[in-house]
Amino acid sequence: MTTATKQVLMERMEGLRQIPAIPAVLTPLLRYRQQPAEQLDAHKVTDLLAQDKALAAQCLQMANSPLFGRWRRVDSLRGAAVSLGFHHLSDIAMSCGVLNLLPGGTSELDPIVFWEHSLGCALVCRHFARKINFGDPSKAYLAGLLHDLGIIVNLWVLPKEFRGTYELARREGIPLHEAEQKSLGFTHCDSGQLLAEHWELSPELAEVVTHHHNPPGSLNHTGLVALVQLADLLCRMRGFNYGYIEERQVNLLEESGFAVLAQHCPSLREFDWARLTFEMDSYMDDVHSLVRAIYPS
Amino acid sequence: MLDPASLTATSKPAATPLVRNAVRMITAPQMRPGTGVVGPPEPDLVRIRDLIYQVAGIFHPENKLCLLQERCNRRMKEIQIATLREYCECLILRPAGQAELIALLNEITIGETCFFRNQPHLDALRQIVIPRILETKAKFPFRRLRLWSAGCSTGEEPYTLSMLLMEETSRRLKDWTFEILATDLNERSLVHARNAVYGSYSTRNLTAYYRLKYFIPVGEQLQVNPAARASVTFSRINLSDDARMTFMRSIDIVFCCNVLIYFDLASKRRVIQHFYNNLLPHGYLFLGHSESLYGVSDDFRLVHLPGATAYVKTERTPAGGSSI
Repeated sequence: MTTATKQVLMERMEGLRQIPAIPAVLTPLLRYRQQPAEQLDAHKVTDLLAQDKALAAQCLQMANSPLFGRWRRVDSLRGAAVSLGFHHLSDIAMSCGVLNLLPGGTSELDPIVFWEHSLGCALVCRHFARKINFGDPSKAYLAGLLHDLGIIVNLWVLPKEFRGTYELARREGIPLHEAEQKSLGFTHCDSGQLLAEHWELSPELAEVVTHHHNPPGSLNHTGLVALVQLADLLCRMRGFNYGYIEERQVNLLEESGFAVLAQHCPSLREFDWARLTFEMDSYMDDVHSLVRAIYPS
Repeated sequence: MLDPASLTATSKPAATPLVRNAVRMITAPQMRPGTGVVGPPEPDLVRIRDLIYQVAGIFHPENKLCLLQERCNRRMKEIQIATLREYCECLILRPAGQAELIALLNEITIGETCFFRNQPHLDALRQIVIPRILETKAKFPFRRLRLWSAGCSTGEEPYTLSMLLMEETSRRLKDWTFEILATDLNERSLVHARNAVYGSYSTRNLTAYYRLKYFIPVGEQLQVNPAARASVTFSRINLSDDARMTFMRSIDIVFCCNVLIYFDLASKRRVIQHFYNNLLPHGYLFLGHSESLYGVSDDFRLVHLPGATAYVKTERTPAGGSSI
């Protein structure tokens, strides 16, 4: 991205009041997540969420989804915090927060489709991280959920230009970031980086947002960035796409993220990718029904 | 699809240690069941799912576990077993476990055969795989494609492929010829396939376009028209017959859906080795929708296509391994 383009983007972002301002509830929540587990107070989190009634209602709906392992109905945020734990409840709140970031009105990229992709990617990241014993699955979830923040920026800041970009991607069946590079001269990774700085996201999340299409470009959190790249790609090929089909063939072992992640997880070389792919199928129905139940609520 | 009853006579049955070994490898239940299933997955059902994946390579995601449960229930009723736990033990421990596993696999794959069975596979074949192969073969003097439907059962799959390729003859396949070799072990299935007459169940996925263009009504049924039949050649081949398998040469794409699940690991490896040798360097292998080659062969690389997976033949390195 050229300096001039960056300047234009920054100006447009500054000019917007609604977005990209991080929702009030999510800022302390993100800060909370950085604290050691023993210092966490679930009640503080539920009190915080209760301040935003619409968000709280969405959280409850999501907490009762099988996607979060609940088999008995919970009727209150406190109940959800007790039965799901802080991290799951916080994942849920973040997920609903992302949904609320999306602009209303008409856009080529259906907000439901975008949210399904983000939520699907978050679930696959968490599942994938568990399978390869990669760090904290909840962190992987958040990284998967937020990796495409730059698309939200593009939807708000450049609605007209982004519409053309999306149409190009759909027409040619190419990845969205390639279409962005062709038509805008920058990608959602670039605009996402600006938002990550604006929001003061943690360094690891900022790297995921900025480098998830090029993991070797990240500096300190290459493993997490690579994990998100592979999960994102799997999602786009398997049905959690952006509402159009990428007409291509993907060999995950040839992706730059594979070599990077294999350095962190040597067992990845023997990994059963077919099984992970088939397991993803089980998320599809639940994500579709959950998203349609919540949006717009 | 092969007839499992006749297959057991010609291929080695899975040794009990294989099953035992697979059972040891079963992982603890994870994730959660899908829509329509109340409560977490039944642990014994998950054990059976994992056993089937380890032994047969066919996977049931959580949202399909209720279907597996139905299939198990049918078998349990048949052999008068009351609980899933007992049934799981029956599959694993008793000497009859191998025969029961095949009976369960039959239940799982029953009704799988129909025209246009796996649309994402077919879309990927048409939109991505064929263009890639044509590009690779553009420098060859012969403009010919050769597909093999291995375990073609009553012929729905090879005829589907024939129709799909005919649709491309005015576009991508202009000036190309193609042939589809269709083989099965079961002679009765082959007689049905050659007659090419099908009832409503087999033709349930047909769109009006294909129905009108490629079929002729025969009473209540439909017969594939001569044009679509012309490019398909049927023959009886046992995939475990090394001598016959050696003669299948210069293949671009193999379709082998829900066939390998009946083979034990050693037989499966031998068949896959044959496919490797039969395929041209750029060749593709398509398995069933949730079927995997994991732990069977390193000679093929899993690739993701939109909504589908396939295996691509890898180049062997001089040291004997496979390159990515």
